Amino acid sequence: MSDLLLDVCHVSKIFSRGGLLSRQRITAVDDVSFQIDKRRPEILAVIGESGSGKTTLCRMILNLELPTTGRLVFDGVDLATIRTAADRMMLRQGVQPIFQNPFDSFNPMKRLERYLFLTQRRFLAATQQPASSKAAIDDALHQVGLSLKEVSHRYPHELSGGQLQRVAIARALLARPKLIVADEPVSMVDASLRLSIVNLFRTVRDLGISIIYVTHDLATAYYISDRILVIRNGSIVESGDAKAVLKYPQHPYCRQLRDAVLLPDLANAAADVPISMTGVKGTGEPDRRP
Amino acid sequence: MHAQAVPDVPSEAVPPMLSVRDLRTYYRANRLGIKREVKAVDGISLTVRRGEIYGLAGESGSGKSTLLNCVAGAIRPPMEIVGGDIDFAFLSGYGGLHRAPPAEVARVRWRHLSYIMQGSMNVLNPLRRLRSVFVDFAYPHVGGTRQQFERQLHAHLARLNLDRSVLSAYPHELSGGMRQRATVALATVCRPDLIIADEPTTALDVLVQKEVLGMIRGIQREMGSSVLLVTHDMGVHAHVSDRLGIMYAGHLVEEAGTAEIFRNPLHPYTKHLISSLPRIGDDAPRCGLGGAPPNLADPPLGCRFHPRCPLAMKVCSGEAPAMLETAPGHRVACFAYNQSGGA
Repeated sequence: MSDLLLDVCHVSKIFSRGGLLSRQRITAVDDVSFQIDKRRPEILAVIGESGSGKTTLCRMILNLELPTTGRLVFDGVDLATIRTAADRMMLRQGVQPIFQNPFDSFNPMKRLERYLFLTQRRFLAATQQPASSKAAIDDALHQVGLSLKEVSHRYPHELSGGQLQRVAIARALLARPKLIVADEPVSMVDASLRLSIVNLFRTVRDLGISIIYVTHDLATAYYISDRILVIRNGSIVESGDAKAVLKYPQHPYCRQLRDAVLLPDLANAAADVPISMTGVKGTGEPDRRP
Repeated sequence: MHAQAVPDVPSEAVPPMLSVRDLRTYYRANRLGIKREVKAVDGISLTVRRGEIYGLAGESGSGKSTLLNCVAGAIRPPMEIVGGDIDFAFLSGYGGLHRAPPAEVARVRWRHLSYIMQGSMNVLNPLRRLRSVFVDFAYPHVGGTRQQFERQLHAHLARLNLDRSVLSAYPHELSGGMRQRATVALATVCRPDLIIADEPTTALDVLVQKEVLGMIRGIQREMGSSVLLVTHDMGVHAHVSDRLGIMYAGHLVEEAGTAEIFRNPLHPYTKHLISSLPRIGDDAPRCGLGGAPPNLADPPLGCRFHPRCPLAMKVCSGEAPAMLETAPGHRVACFAYNQSGGA
């Protein structure tokens, strides 16, 4: 068995829409390859503007979408060979998702602990007593700075967005995955709470779980990640050590991205106030039609 | 840059564009005889001068959007204005849009007061082309013939560097950034005196965000309008706002020129907001604010920030600090600085 946890090998995804005659092909992900090593858990940031194919890439890693060409191998299992519910369960135990909007990922009609107990039962409970599963849930919640007492009997609307996102992370931890795919996990969370969630990812990595952190927020990506992939129009334009790529970007697109970050500093604000009316032409988003 | 753009000394001769005095807005619920009051905005006073961008910052649930809704006159139960006045330069004597007669409201809306909303997809009708949206929103307030309006619209779009072909597109045919720029065009087509912007760039990525902000600021400078800009992103405020108000749990805790706030933040919450943000090139570890935002149905006594405050003193849990001036144009509500002469 190889040492690769995740092997993304020349993966492309083409969506087509329209009828037989007016068919349009949109290349969402274009020949992307990267690996995550099993022995070195890391936080891998995937950066790009909206529409660059970040989410499609995530969905393929989570096996919610099949690649048009290329191969995805997770922990020795080719995702294309997954057919049965049992296989999917095995995969889901290894890869857990965290989504963008915590208010969308929990059903507002159900109590939060229901999700936690359900996940616990699905993945682990065959071997465990009810009492110990309660302890395991409390443990997972403690890792994210909450406790079962705070969460039980509460509905999603009773918690703030930041707390809810922590519950989502605790739920993902319960399955004891090897990889967490977090798709814009902090873009709906307040700037002041963002950091406590991002710091949490570092704790999770130190538990030995790799994280794919998808975002368009370059500042948090710089702060937290070990390695970075910059994606544009579905293909990787630059990759490498996060600090190096963001400090000294080589590709003009990366430089453009970095320069667009609005820093909470007046020194920088004076230098590049985006106040000219020129240069606002175009949609700002790439045309993905070939 | 910012400080020079707007004179820092308030001129007494010109009345401000918007003045809010001791506004209190509560959400009142009465379920099975149990009354519950959520004090979303509790005694806020602020003024927006002519030709300036006034920024409001604070976490979600601090009452920013409630304040904006009050200013825009969008009062729906259970929201209730319990006290205070809102005066506009173009509408005085009523104490707020919500108390003005409907004819006055219709006169003021869009012509004098317009609104850039957060979710452009929720503003633009998905079944109508953008031209119809512009006609629906703006035409009744402009007057003249449809041809004149169309010409005016083209000139306005040209000023914003938008192609006129967007007018014949449906919202789903445009990208998120393009839609948001269309809503900016929609809000500014009548050259209003006051524009309210509620998180106009939160859902956009960095490149588009920069464009949209440049557009808002450019058109504001050109028309000389005032803007009340709400966002929790301090980076946006540093680049766009002239003056900044920091809100926490329904109170205004600090107010000053943007440069002053960033150079010399006084309130511990403001300090936290500025220092906690990670920056590219800076490897210092940072931590989020501990604790949870207060429950506004049962806010902590005294200063509402004291349970999370690193400087909390005995007096903080007893009484609420008043908003006092520490330097010209710099007001702060914190016992550590200005109360009873001790600094």
